[in-house]
Amino acid sequence: MAKSAKLRSVQADGGEECKLDLSPMIDMVFLLLIFFLVSATLIVVKIDNKVTPADASASEIAKDGNGRIVVNVREGGIFTDLNGKVLSGEDDIKEWVRLEKAKVDLLGKTPKLHLRGDKEAIFADSRKAIRAAAAEGVINVVFSVYKVK
Amino acid sequence: MARRKRTEAPEEDEPALDISSLIDVTFLLLIYFIVTTTLQKKETDLNMNLPGKAPVETQLDIPPMFIKLNNAGAVYVGTGAAEQLMDSDINVRDLPNLKSQLQLYKDASAATQSTPLVQVYVEDEARQQRVIDVINALAATGIKSITFTDLVK
Repeated sequence: MAKSAKLRSVQADGGEECKLDLSPMIDMVFLLLIFFLVSATLIVVKIDNKVTPADASASEIAKDGNGRIVVNVREGGIFTDLNGKVLSGEDDIKEWVRLEKAKVDLLGKTPKLHLRGDKEAIFADSRKAIRAAAAEGVINVVFSVYKVK
Repeated sequence: MARRKRTEAPEEDEPALDISSLIDVTFLLLIYFIVTTTLQKKETDLNMNLPGKAPVETQLDIPPMFIKLNNAGAVYVGTGAAEQLMDSDINVRDLPNLKSQLQLYKDASAATQSTPLVQVYVEDEARQQRVIDVINALAATGIKSITFTDLVK
């Protein structure tokens, strides 16, 4: 098919390749990346996925993770530490709290028990953890909960 | 010489950076983050100060408030003959009667310029959620120092 005069005149000047301007796309992608980075929240403590904390409305957003000695209380009375290691009883909890408290004391922070109790766990188990921590001199307790309106 | 001049001719074009690979990498990163991200409910704190013993050395202007939570999730205030049932429905998580009682107690403490002291007794089989409901009511009233009486030996 014969080319029109207009098409010929357009193609005549050097025959440059048609290019797509990608800069707005890069802008958008970077914008998305920055959004995800900014909206991501820092994890205060490592969590045990087998624990579903209770709900509360008067809770506060965790300000920092310093000085927290994490004890998870699963449904069924299984205790785990921050690293997921099972603590077999009050003596193990005391040992864990003692070691962690020594680290916190070295940093000059106030130690506090970060109790992640499953909402279906019985309080007798949580009490064991609180009692063990109190025996080691940790009386500040942070109950980990989900915020509800 | 003439041949040399011909080979130099393409250098007259403007230098351009090929950014398509950069876009590839960026998209790859973006897709990786989107795929690997798991939305997790954010956990918050209910801070409480749990002294092991009630401060018996200091003379209290008003007696400490006693809260009892039984295995069924019913909440009582007071001891002995003065024991009063506050909230018994475990589906009512807000504990409105307990909250109003706590508010009265806090106001009385403020009037005598003393620190409100609450003692909580929880039966062994009570659920963690119900205990948190009670602690939540305390926190909502502004009482941050409680004693679990069953911890004091």
